[in-house]
Amino acid sequence: MSSIAQYLLNGLMQGTIYGLVAIGFTIFFGVMNVIKFSHGDVLTFGAFGGLVAAWAATALGFPIWLELVFVVLISVMASAAIGAIIARGLVLPLKDAPPLNMLLMTMMVGTAIRECIRLFFPNGTNPQRFPELLPSGGFDLSGVYFRYDGLILIAAGIAFIFAVQWIINRTRLGLAIRAVAEDGETARTMGINFTLTVAIAFAIGSMTAGVAGALYGLYYSEINYSMGLILAIIGFSAAIIGGLGNIWGAIVGGYLFAGLQTAVVALLPALSDYKNVIALIVVVALIAWRPTGLLAERGSERV
Amino acid sequence: MTVTSMKGTAGQIVSSILVTALLVGSLVAVLEIEDQRALGICVAIIAGLSFLAPKLGILRGAEQAGAHHPWAVRLIILIGFCSLVLILKDNNFALLMIATILIYATVCLGITIQTGYAGLFNFAGAAFLGTGGYTAAMLANATWLPDIVTILLGGVIAAALGTVLILPVLRTRGHYAALTTLAFGVLFNGFLEANEMLGGPQGLKVPGIQIFGWDFSNDLVIGSLSFSFYANYVLLIGAIFALFMIFTRFIERSWIGIWLDAVRLDEIAVSVFGLRISVWKSFAFTAGNFLAGVMGAVYAKMTEFIAPANFTFGDSLLLVAIVLLGGIGNRWGVLVATMIVILLPEKLQFIQEYRLLLFACIIILLLMVRPAGLLARRVRVFEERH
Amino acid sequence: MSAGSKNESPLIASGLSVKFGGLLALNELSIEVRRGEVLGLIGPNGSGKTTFFNVISGIYAASAGQVLLDGRDITTLRPHQIAAHGLARTFQRSRLCLSLSVFDNLMLGAVRRLNSGLWYNLVRRDRLAADVRSAAKEARDLLAIFNPDLAGKLWQPAISLGMIDRRRLEICRALIGRPKIVLLDEPSAGMTHDETNQLMNEILEVRRNLGNLTVVMVEHEMGLIERATDRCVVLNYGKKICEGKYADVAADPLVREAYLGKS
Repeated sequence: MSSIAQYLLNGLMQGTIYGLVAIGFTIFFGVMNVIKFSHGDVLTFGAFGGLVAAWAATALGFPIWLELVFVVLISVMASAAIGAIIARGLVLPLKDAPPLNMLLMTMMVGTAIRECIRLFFPNGTNPQRFPELLPSGGFDLSGVYFRYDGLILIAAGIAFIFAVQWIINRTRLGLAIRAVAEDGETARTMGINFTLTVAIAFAIGSMTAGVAGALYGLYYSEINYSMGLILAIIGFSAAIIGGLGNIWGAIVGGYLFAGLQTAVVALLPALSDYKNVIALIVVVALIAWRPTGLLAERGSERV
Repeated sequence: MTVTSMKGTAGQIVSSILVTALLVGSLVAVLEIEDQRALGICVAIIAGLSFLAPKLGILRGAEQAGAHHPWAVRLIILIGFCSLVLILKDNNFALLMIATILIYATVCLGITIQTGYAGLFNFAGAAFLGTGGYTAAMLANATWLPDIVTILLGGVIAAALGTVLILPVLRTRGHYAALTTLAFGVLFNGFLEANEMLGGPQGLKVPGIQIFGWDFSNDLVIGSLSFSFYANYVLLIGAIFALFMIFTRFIERSWIGIWLDAVRLDEIAVSVFGLRISVWKSFAFTAGNFLAGVMGAVYAKMTEFIAPANFTFGDSLLLVAIVLLGGIGNRWGVLVATMIVILLPEKLQFIQEYRLLLFACIIILLLMVRPAGLLARRVRVFEERH
Repeated sequence: MSAGSKNESPLIASGLSVKFGGLLALNELSIEVRRGEVLGLIGPNGSGKTTFFNVISGIYAASAGQVLLDGRDITTLRPHQIAAHGLARTFQRSRLCLSLSVFDNLMLGAVRRLNSGLWYNLVRRDRLAADVRSAAKEARDLLAIFNPDLAGKLWQPAISLGMIDRRRLEICRALIGRPKIVLLDEPSAGMTHDETNQLMNEILEVRRNLGNLTVVMVEHEMGLIERATDRCVVLNYGKKICEGKYADVAADPLVREAYLGKS
């Protein structure tokens, strides 16, 4: 009983991270019809930004709560900034190019970020210790051990998901983003600054990566240069299961993927090394079954 | 008289001889020179000559020679290739490099069919190469199996695996096919490392090739000349590469070539005329992975050892980078780009560590300013003469 | 029902509905096309004309209703299967493969009768070369009916052609597969008045040469419709509101209302 709850908590944590990454994919796809594969490496960039912030905070003697705020803030800002720069400088100029060129571009941008961290971050090839800034310990509830940090992080992640959802669906900015997503040309004639809106949308999408990166570092206490790659694949597939362009679908996809992984680890411990492989096989089967995603209605191709 | 003014057959033949000589000369120079500064100067000279060649009309001439006198050009290339092997005959390292270039170039021909023609993403080129290699390793105990069959099986298994990967997503949007190859490319490594039967991170030993009593692990002796044992492999791989070059050319200049291009350019519009999109997508994907699998098996047998570290996602990305750098859909561009991407980091050692970053930046730049690549693909023109 | 008997209507759509989300793009539409006629399909923007073509050619799935092509039910078939039963079409916005040659684009229309076998394409290169030669001759002959200049541009990329030549090429691509019925989606789109007239004369001439091919045409230019069609069907909000000769249709108050709005 207690171990099931333990798996559940762990799965919830992973699902929150995956869901955050998937939201980014879904925003980029909704706005520009691109798969921005550098998203995972933007996440890594944000996490390393957070790490540097933690070092700086320690050097400056910040109290621990301020250090925590500082770390998360820098992670998010670093991701948002690089996401907006990529959108403005590299994605927008290619918006009329064949989709292969666009995918290659974002993939190579991701590779460049990944390699820069590996080569130029001090001792970047090796995993880096991420400081533990949240209260350690936890409490026991009928045999289930709840880690305080886990609970806080899950709550923070979900709160951020709601915040993004609110920005997209309830604010003027979100309205502009949705207008651009619907029809860029028309939005432009209605006086919306297309370039700026796209850059902001990419910044918001990339913030989710920054939050996910900070959560990852704070929860697992270790980050490395290549962690974004697998998170990107998982986030991408989660976004597809949810129906690309659908925020709630992306979140469902994220938790579904984490659920699949957790099920493999819990039910088939001998195969736990292959949990990603198995989860992805299930995902591909789901995509074959419902190509437009689990939540989306049947769409039709533009002719 | 400049070369530009040499019209007609003679000019075309001379042009193709010059281009072949430039390629062979560059390879020999880069492979033989050890001193880093001399090498740098040499690379600069080659770059200069390559820049001049199209201005003088030599490239165009060679291209026309290829269209009008294909067998003459093939003979010239064969002579060039043989002299290359002859010049480098006891240089183990150089011959290994030539073999590696040809192996990667063949895999990239496969990706050219997939991505350049049919527009299918393949971000798992190295994983398909590895599939062929591991197939050869697993068949090492089956000594009764002729090595030719083993090599072909490497191709068949890679092709079959690729087909299983793409079939479920064949009818869905292009992005989803990208996901399956991406996932395969990234997870392949981890899968191998976790799998004890496949040797884990340490990898597996693979016996060398023996065909009809010709042992590829011994030095090659022809008359009074003695070659490094790698020459065996260079000859075999060269032959396979030539075969696949012709195969790719024939695909492109055929009705099938038109169908594949149409699948890439506008699958909905052309399905209305009766083209079966999923058939041609699976054909292109399967054919391309077959090439990768065959070369994977040969590669494993040549190095007599394979490990997961040879087939990383980074390698898959390099393969895609080669195809784009050469000029997507251009077969000769693939060969030139492979030379650059393989040789440069290997010889200019300060690049080695930075090669992935370097080529990522080159591709980003290329996509911004010259997406057609170094040698842009030409519009297909069928020969109408008898 | 015997397939393809002489007097039967080659294309019958009955009770066809298409839903996009909550929107009914086609609403129980029934249209019968008679053999050898030119049928004009008209109606305001968004009335479902192009959607009708997309359903007939298999790009969209109908949510209700049935389509018979030469007596065969093609409602649930995929585009390539429908093409095999002798239907071809053009698109409103140019859908040529612009980086391919004029010849390549044309051959896409002939995909069903060209040999796609591996052995033939890779090994029997002599036979392939002979077939390419005869196909090139056929292509030149067809293009020359429209524009002799175009026949000389067989190996140029389609992107090098002007607007009207591109449209010609699209129409030739639809014709070269020798279909039984052709759907033309706004052949005049993006062209001047004179160009349009010229193109329409060419289309009518070629149609006569092909033994009075059955044509369904979506068109906004009413002069064209008047001159070229035998009969018209008027759509509004996915429904048929009127059918008959152009002169009768044009006089119909319902049609006037659909175009001009209620006055």
